[in-house]
Amino acid sequence: MFSLKLGLKNLTRQKRRNIITIFVIAFSFFGYLFMDSIMGGMEEMSFSNIKNYDTGNIQVMHPEYWEDREKLPLENLIYLNQDTIDSIKNMDGVIGISPELRFQASLNNGIDETVVLGLGISPEQYSEVFATKNYIFEGSMFAPGESKAVIGVRLAELMDLKVNDYITLLIRTKEDTFNTIDVEISGLLNSPNPMINNGIVFVPLDIAQQALNIGNGVSLFALKTASGDEDKITKALMNSFKEKNLDLKAYSWRESAASVIALSAAKKGGAATILSVVLLIGMIGIINNVILSALERTGEIGMMKALGMREWEIVFVFMVEATGIGILGGLAGCLIGFAGISYMVKYGFDLSYMGGDMSEFGIPILDKIYGTWNIPAFGFLFILSVMVALLSSIMPAYWAAHKDPVKAIYHR
Amino acid sequence: MSLLELKGVKKIYQQGKIEVPALRGVDLKVEQGEFSTIFGPSGSGKTTLLNMIGCLDTPTEGEIRLNGNKVSDLSRKALAMTRRFNIGFVFQSYNLIPVLTAYENVEFAIRLIDHTSDLQIKEKVLKILDEVGLKGLENRRPNELSGGEKQRVAIARALVKEPKLVLADEPTANLDSKNATDVVKIMVKMNKELGTTFIFSTHDPMVMEYAHRYINLKDGMISADKRKEAKGV
Repeated sequence: MFSLKLGLKNLTRQKRRNIITIFVIAFSFFGYLFMDSIMGGMEEMSFSNIKNYDTGNIQVMHPEYWEDREKLPLENLIYLNQDTIDSIKNMDGVIGISPELRFQASLNNGIDETVVLGLGISPEQYSEVFATKNYIFEGSMFAPGESKAVIGVRLAELMDLKVNDYITLLIRTKEDTFNTIDVEISGLLNSPNPMINNGIVFVPLDIAQQALNIGNGVSLFALKTASGDEDKITKALMNSFKEKNLDLKAYSWRESAASVIALSAAKKGGAATILSVVLLIGMIGIINNVILSALERTGEIGMMKALGMREWEIVFVFMVEATGIGILGGLAGCLIGFAGISYMVKYGFDLSYMGGDMSEFGIPILDKIYGTWNIPAFGFLFILSVMVALLSSIMPAYWAAHKDPVKAIYHR
Repeated sequence: MSLLELKGVKKIYQQGKIEVPALRGVDLKVEQGEFSTIFGPSGSGKTTLLNMIGCLDTPTEGEIRLNGNKVSDLSRKALAMTRRFNIGFVFQSYNLIPVLTAYENVEFAIRLIDHTSDLQIKEKVLKILDEVGLKGLENRRPNELSGGEKQRVAIARALVKEPKLVLADEPTANLDSKNATDVVKIMVKMNKELGTTFIFSTHDPMVMEYAHRYINLKDGMISADKRKEAKGV
C-alpha cells in the first residue's frame, strides 16, 4: 500500500493548484446544493400555499364542473343537504369542510373596472379549511348575510381601494342576465399566496347565491385533512358517493395543482442540467490537475517505470491523488453547502430583489423563499464527487503511465 | 554463463523519414561482480546501450540475455518485471520523489518486491542508508539534501532490493569532484561487499580510474574493451 501513501503525499504537492481545484469543486457543489435547497423550498411553499389558500387538501365537485372549472360555470353546481355535508365532515381524517361558490365578476370602484374571481364563502367554515383569516392585516372578515367583501392588498392598491370603501361586482346570473353585488370592503388580505392578493374578492356565500340566482348551490366543497391522508380519504369519499348514488367526485390537491406540479417537475429537469454542469466543472478540474501533474512529473514517472512499476500501479498513484482532491472538494462543498442552506432555512431569501412576487412565473410564492434540507443530496453529491474524481483521473493517469520509460526519464 | 550477454545489438531511431542508428552492432559479455564503465563522447550511444541493458528499451536487431534469459523481445509487462526484480538504476538527475523522505524513497523501491514485515523492511532500508553514509539523514526530504547526498539516496534505492545488476547513467555528472569521488567509492564498496555488478557510463577520467573494465563506445560500436587493475578505495 505504499502507492496509496505516495498518492496521498502527492496531495501536498502543488498546494495552490490543488486548493484551487478543491475550491472549484466545492463551490460548484455548493451552487448545486443551494439551488436544490431553494427549489425544494419553492416547491414546499408553493404546495403549502396551494393547500392552505387555494384548493384545500381535497375538493369535492361534479365531474362535469371539474372539466369546465377554469371557465367558472354556474352549471353542474352541488346542492347537498346538511346530513350529507355532516357525513363528509365526520369522516375519519377530515378536519374541516367549506363550501365555495366561484364566479366571474368585474370589480368596479366607480372609476375603473377589472376582472376578478368572485368567491362566495361561509367565513366560519372557510377558516376551518384555509388559513386566510390569519392574514387579514386591516379590517375584519365579514359575517354571513352582510353585504361586505374582503379583497387582497394588491388588488386594493391596483383599484385604489381601502377598508369601508364600496365596490360593485358586475356578474352574470345563471340565466345569463346581468346583476350586481354592491358591498363594502370589510377587510384587506395579505396572504403568502399572491394569487389571493391579486385577483379574488371574497363575499358571503348567501349574498353571492342570491345575486347569482342559484339557490343554495355551490361550485365545490374544499376539505382540510390530516397531511398525507389525502389519497386514503379521497378513496373513501369516492366509495361513499358511489354508495349514496351521488354524482360527485373527490380530487386531491395534487390533481387541482397539476400545472404547478408540472412546473416543479420541469424545475427538477433544470436541477439535473445544473448538476451536469457541476460534474463537468469537477471533471475538467480533475483532468486538468492530473495532466499537469503528469507533465511536471515526467522524470518521476520514468523512474517509477525503471523501478519496475507496472502501468496500473502508476495509474493507481495518480488516481489516489485525484480521488483525494475529489474527497476534499466534496467535503468542502458539503460544508459550505451546510452553512448556506442553514442560512436559507433560517432567514430565507428576500424576493423583493426579484419583484417580490413569483406568481408571475407561475409559482404561488410571495416575499420570501426559504430553503429546505435535502440530506440525501449531500451524500449523493459527495459520493458523486469521489466517483467523478476517480473516473475522470483514469484516462489522463493512464496516458501518463503509458509513457515510454526512456522518453519519460530523459524528458524527450 | 555470463550475467549479461549482447549479440549484434542494433538500435535505429526513426526521425521522420530519416533513420538514425544509435547502436550499430554491439557484442558484449559482462560477468557477475564486474565494475565496468562505458565511456565515449556525446552521441556515441552510451545511454542507448544502458537503456537496452536495463530493459527500458528493446533493440531493433540483435539479442540481449540477462542471466541466460533472453530479454530483448519481451513484452512491456515482462520487461517491467525484469527491471523490478533484477536491475537497479542510478540517474544523473537523481529522480527522487520530493514528497518522500530519504528513508521513504529507498523504502519505495523495496516495497515493490519485498512483502515481508515492516520491521524487516525497516532494518534493510536503515542498513543500506547507513552503508551509503546517510545515517541520521533518513528523515530529510530531497530538498534538504546536497547533490552528493541525493545521489547516495539514489544509490541506496538501487541497491536496497539487492539486484543482480546496477546501471548508472553519468551518476557523477551533476556533482563536484569530492562528491563524485565519494559516490564512486560507495559504488565500489557495494560492488565488493555485495558482489553487485555495476555498469556505469561516464566521461569523467577520475571516475574511470575506479573501474576494472573500460568499454569505449564510438559511433554506436565498441571500439575498445579493456580490463585493468582498479584504483583501491
